Amino acid sequence: MNRIQFGEGGCEKALRYLDAYISNELTIETNHDVLRHLEGCPGCSAELDARTRLRSRLKTAVKAQSIPPELQLRIREQIRSRRSGSSLFPEWLKAGGWRWAGAMAAGLLVAAGLWMNYSAQRMPALADRPAQKAYIARVSANLAAVLKVGLGDHIHCSIFRKYPKEAPPIEKMESDLGPTYSGLLPVVRASIPEGYRVIMAHQCSYAGRKFIHLTFEKDGGLLSLVIARKQPGESLEDLGQATQSSGIAIYQSAAGRYEVAGFEAGNYLAYVVSELRSKANLQIAANMAAGVHEFLVKIAA
Amino acid sequence: MPFSKRPSTNQFEAAAMPYLNDIYRTAARLLGDGPGADDVVQDVYLQAWKAFDQFELGTNCRAWLFKILFHTLNHYRRKWLNKRMVRESEEILDLTPAVGPPIPEHITDEQMLAVLAEVPQDFRAVVLLVDVEEFSYKEAAGILNVPVGTVMSRLSRGRKMLREKLVAQAASYGIGRTHQEGKSA
Repeated sequence: MNRIQFGEGGCEKALRYLDAYISNELTIETNHDVLRHLEGCPGCSAELDARTRLRSRLKTAVKAQSIPPELQLRIREQIRSRRSGSSLFPEWLKAGGWRWAGAMAAGLLVAAGLWMNYSAQRMPALADRPAQKAYIARVSANLAAVLKVGLGDHIHCSIFRKYPKEAPPIEKMESDLGPTYSGLLPVVRASIPEGYRVIMAHQCSYAGRKFIHLTFEKDGGLLSLVIARKQPGESLEDLGQATQSSGIAIYQSAAGRYEVAGFEAGNYLAYVVSELRSKANLQIAANMAAGVHEFLVKIAA
Repeated sequence: MPFSKRPSTNQFEAAAMPYLNDIYRTAARLLGDGPGADDVVQDVYLQAWKAFDQFELGTNCRAWLFKILFHTLNHYRRKWLNKRMVRESEEILDLTPAVGPPIPEHITDEQMLAVLAEVPQDFRAVVLLVDVEEFSYKEAAGILNVPVGTVMSRLSRGRKMLREKLVAQAASYGIGRTHQEGKSA
């Protein structure tokens, strides 16, 4: 873009290039000229302010919209059931002669394999409660019983359950957590990595058990902190310890696409569940452990 | 350089999934809320996954996904994307130097999105790409497969329409107070 000289009719020129100025698309020299004009012109300066505010307001409104929580899961399972670069009728399948029969047989075997893989991973519809229950049972089949507690509530409540597109105000979340647990919100928010936003915080129940449940979202991925009261005989100590943070033992195991980290805090069991890589999920649990542990132990006392 | 061997789903997910929110929001704002955006976004990611072995490593994956999004939208909504609303020559020349009407001080997200939905889709697409997703003019031109001058013109006019419609909506609700008036009050 050429440099634009400002002089006579400076306002008209400045306004003409204001859009490109806002988008940072002018050359350094022209940008400087616009800036110099704006410094001495309250009218153009006010117009810049108005346009900038409108742009910022628009961005905020659009970015406030969150994606349907099940969409990412649906996409992941679809791409995992298909191979990159594959087409419906690849060239080798179009070849004639005896190869065709062999190719068809191989194709059917691949298709059967893909279908079985798809069936094993596919997510039930939101309204299909029995299928959801079966899905949770299938995913957590190889998980220690004490870790199933956290995973089950995460999938049931964060993944399947519908909640408003817009995260409720903090006051509403504090109210949903109740007076005993509302103080947990700032504790957890202080230790969650940058970029995560809290989208849900409440008390809920699943499989006859009550939970304190906070859900965070980043780039469409969900992460839960699930807290439950210990039941008689329940303990994480029989599992292999994954790490320790501030003297608190943290345990972790994978279940399908999920990572479930857990630690004990007095009479409570706390879980961090996500689809992050093992190391990332464990790190977040380790970051949260000290604050959550202190909070829960204080309540129990 | 494309992948030397078939990429894994993990490689694809690591490269493409971080942009799911951006792709979904843009699709939703162009198609309106509802199941339509879900379907388009699923389709975009499936197409991207199928073509991922041809993706040039080190290039802009986000811009590549947006290009697929608009290609998909073109397929879904061939009518509106192919429809020329203004002639190219007019588009390039029509950069507006005028001062716009004052913007209402209090605008809710819902009001903003409702007004955005009234902006014709060619213009809305550019406003979303440049103002919300912060693509450069050149990137937006590549995504939409139009000249940079067209991006500039549509952006200018799209922003202007958005502002005018916002003011008109505020007036219809009896909200006359502007930012500047609010400051001096």
